[in-house]
This record gives sequence, structure tokens and C-alpha cells, in this order.
Amino acid sequence: MGVVLRTERLTKRFDRLTAVEDLDLEVREGEVFGFLGPNGAGKTTTLRLLCALIAPTSGTAEVAGFRLGSHDEQIRASVGILTEQPGLYERQSAEDNLLFFATLFGLGPAVARSQTERYLRLMGLWDRRAEAVATFSRGMKQKMAIARAAIHEPRIIFLDEPTTGLDPDAARTVREFIAQIRGEGRTVFLCTHNLDEADRLCDRIAFFRRTIIRIDTPADLREELYGHATEFRITPSPRPEHLVQVRAVAGVTDAHLENGSIIVASADPLLVNPRVVRALVGAGAEVAYVSDRKVSLEDVYLKVVEGT
Amino acid sequence: MSTLATTADRGTIVRAVCIREWREALGNRLLVGMTVLPPLVILVAGIGAVAVAALVPPSEKDVAALYAASPAVIGLDPKDAVQGIIATYFLILFMLIPTVVPLTIAIYSVIGEKAARTLEPLLAAPVRVGELLLAKSLASAIPAVIVTWIAYAIYLGAVSLLGSAAAVRAVTAPRWILAIVIMVPLLTLLSVNLGILISTRVNDVRVAQQIGGLVVVPVVGIGILQVTGRVVINNESFLGTAVFLLVCDALVFFLARLAFQRENILSRWR
Repeated sequence: MGVVLRTERLTKRFDRLTAVEDLDLEVREGEVFGFLGPNGAGKTTTLRLLCALIAPTSGTAEVAGFRLGSHDEQIRASVGILTEQPGLYERQSAEDNLLFFATLFGLGPAVARSQTERYLRLMGLWDRRAEAVATFSRGMKQKMAIARAAIHEPRIIFLDEPTTGLDPDAARTVREFIAQIRGEGRTVFLCTHNLDEADRLCDRIAFFRRTIIRIDTPADLREELYGHATEFRITPSPRPEHLVQVRAVAGVTDAHLENGSIIVASADPLLVNPRVVRALVGAGAEVAYVSDRKVSLEDVYLKVVEGT
Repeated sequence: MSTLATTADRGTIVRAVCIREWREALGNRLLVGMTVLPPLVILVAGIGAVAVAALVPPSEKDVAALYAASPAVIGLDPKDAVQGIIATYFLILFMLIPTVVPLTIAIYSVIGEKAARTLEPLLAAPVRVGELLLAKSLASAIPAVIVTWIAYAIYLGAVSLLGSAAAVRAVTAPRWILAIVIMVPLLTLLSVNLGILISTRVNDVRVAQQIGGLVVVPVVGIGILQVTGRVVINNESFLGTAVFLLVCDALVFFLARLAFQRENILSRWR
């Protein structure tokens, strides 16, 4: 996969406030890239920089093959952005909203009409195309805004909190849409606070606070930060000596009690877990079951971003 | 992986934005009312005043006051003179239309987009802010100029039917026709760009209108001075006023262009 977006020491300052600092980033063609960080971390500013909406204070970036600062118009033609607010023309119909933006993106009348129909159908809004957007629910408006961001088939689509405030059905439509975009080989740059969604959708994730703190696949981040964790359920409940025995097993990197189970971390569970079972049985423990314990992305996020 | 987007023809962008602005404006009853009402009121009042002056001869007291206020009309038939003065006075009020109407449209155009948060998606398209500014200016100016010209044409027709020869001469004087053809677009552009400039700084339509409304003061002032004979607008002063307006237009457009920057709009406008 080629690189579709690259930044080098990209920095943005507003007077004395540094919103983005020395951002080095590479995003590959066709991947769903998660961009996670706390409120005020500078995610929206980064999106605006990468969409050539605002100019960097220093540093460089290349987006969809175009240099930021010298080919801004081409960058804007090559990317699509879903902003925090849908920002639709509420008195106008769904169809007129999309046709207007299709025209701004240089689509001819026939292509604009066919793309409008395609995306309204994709978002399940075709039957309501003639209605004023003001009559739409929040979820429908968000789907409209996503359709607007994608109508010109951008190489990279930037989505800022695409499912925030949506009901489960609308959120699923949006997730399916993201999967479809990815299937077409387009790149999705996803800013979200929904860690479960990021976990499900993203090929790689960057934790960000003014600059990149950590970047990797969700699986590799888990392994790097937590290793492989296994849950050993003891009945009726584990005793302190069980924990002592487990910690003494060769290969165990961490063991602790959690909700009536012993959570064991190791680099090689296939080798270490049988040893742990033997040690527990030897110590008189009744091992009810052994299961792989999946560390949530929330745990990873908190450890990386909040340092907990 | 390619995109369907191309850089649209500049004219197409400006036209698309203008049409969208007009559709949005037509859906706003308050805005439609504020666009149509001022010309309608001036038109009805103007035609009514000329008609009344034609039907009711002025009293000696009125004539004395008229001659005192406008020495230029001494010697004319009093009835003719009164109609001529009234017709001219309302022509000056017509010059208020291009200051009031486009100001309102321009203010709604910018503050409306700020409130609805529609500017960011618009700025994310491959359009130049200069094109957006031009499109917004035209979208506000064109209806105002057309409304003023239509109102003037109706007034001209009505005065020709109802008024005296002096009244007809007053409304068809080449200077006034030139004023309608040249000054109206210049005043309109001044008002539009002033409206845009003010709208970048405030978020309340009423506050913006109050500040922008100050643009009518010089127009009313010049009108009153001319009607009372204290200032006579001859060809030289007409040309001077046109040049002055042109310079003001350029200056206010330049200031509006400075305020209407992509980064300013996204980072500083509140």
C-alpha cells in the first residue's frame, strides 16, 4: 500500500497556543486510520490542516500527492471532510444540498445527479430527497453530511466523530459506509471517541495529544502494552497463596486478582498457561475455566493517553 | 484510486453559490418581506404624494414656504413646482432602497451561514474565498438593483400618468436617470460589502443592521440638502460623488476581502 498522506514536523500555533506540534504521520492508501485523543488535543485543527483549510505555522505535508501550501485547491478537490457539525442548508432539499456541493467539486450536471442519487440511496435517504433538510432527524442529517463529504469520490475522507449522537441503526449505516469506502480502496481518516468503533473499523490507530503519542494496529498496541492476558477462573474464589504460586511460574510477567479471577500476562501463553494451570491445581485451586482475556481499546487508550 | 472532482469553472461556482443564496433567501419570509417592503412603501408613498399634489392645489402659505425653501423654483406655476419638488424628493428616497435592501440580504447571508455552521463545508470545497465573496456580493446586490430599477420604472410610469409636466421633467431628468443607472449599483455594492464586513464581526442580525443602517445617513443628508436648495448637484458634483462612491466601494471590498479569509473564518469568527 502506498502512502497517501505524509506530514513532517507539521505545527500549528494560534498566537501563544500550540494546537499541533511536530506532527510526523504516514497514512496508507486504502486503510481506515483512527485518530484518537482527548477533547482539546488538536484533532480538529489537524483535520483542518490536512484538508488545506488552514495553513501550518511550520512543517510540511503531502496529501493525496499534493503539497500543502502550494496545491491547496487540488488537496481540497482530492479529500472530503465531515465536520463536527453537519452544516447543511436546512431550507433546501436533500437533493439540492448534494447537487450544490457536487457542482462546487466540479462534477458535470449528469455526474452530479447520478452521484447524488447513488449516495442518497446508499444512506437510505432517496425517498426523502425532495424534503427540506430541516425536517430530518439528527441521524439523517449526519448521513447527509457524510454523503456530501463523499460525493466527489475523494481519495481520502476525513470523518470527525461520524457516529456521535446517532441511534444504533444510523450508526451501523455509517459503519457499513466506512467499510464500503475502504473496500473501494479509499482511505478513511477517522476521528472518534467511540473506542469500540475504532477497534472494529481501524487498521491502525494513532493516539494523539498535540503530537502522536503512539501509533500501531489495535492488536499490536494491546500486545505491546499488555502482552497476552489470560483469565483463570477459580471457584469459589482465588486465595492469596494461589496468586503467589502463579507469580512464581516461569514466563509470567504479571498476575493480579480481578473479579474472582486471576489475570495472568505472559509473552507466550501457549507455553506458560499449562504451567499456570498445573501450579494452581498443585496449590489446591479448583480451576473452573481458562479464557483469553481481551484488553479493551479503552484500557489501551487510558494507559497511553491518560497515563493510567 | 481517483477522484471525480475537478476544479470547477469559476463562473459555474459563482452562479451555483448565487442560486443557492437566492433559494435560501426566498425560503426566509422575513428576508423576503424586508426586501420587498421598503421599495413598496416608498413607491406607494411617492405615487400617492404626487397624486395628492395633482388633485389638491397648494395653499398660499405652502407656496410661500416652498419658495423660501427652494428659491430655484420661484416663477414656476406653484402646483407644478410642488409636484416637481415632491417627485424629486421621492426620487431621493429611491436612493435609499439600494442601501437598505442589499444590506439586509448580505447580513443574513453571512450571519445565517455562521449560525448554521455551513461555512466550513463550503470552504472545504475547491473554491476560492474571493469567489465566495464575489458570489455573496452579487447574490445580495442583483436583487436590490433590480428591485430599485423596477420601482423606479413604475414610479416613472405613474408620475407620467398622474403628474404635471414639471413632475415628469423632474423624474426623467438625465441626471436622475444616470443616478438610477450608475449610483444605484455603486450604493448597492457599498452597502453589500459593508454588510459583509459588519457580519464578520457580529453574530446578531439586528446589531449588524443597526450598524449598517448608518450608511443611509449621508444619502438622506445629501437628499435633504438638494431638495432644500442648499446643495445643487450639477454634472461635476455628480461625477465627483460617483468617483467617491467607487473609491468607497473599492475600499470596503478590500476590507471585506481581508476579513473574509479562510483561516479567519474558521479560527476567529464566532
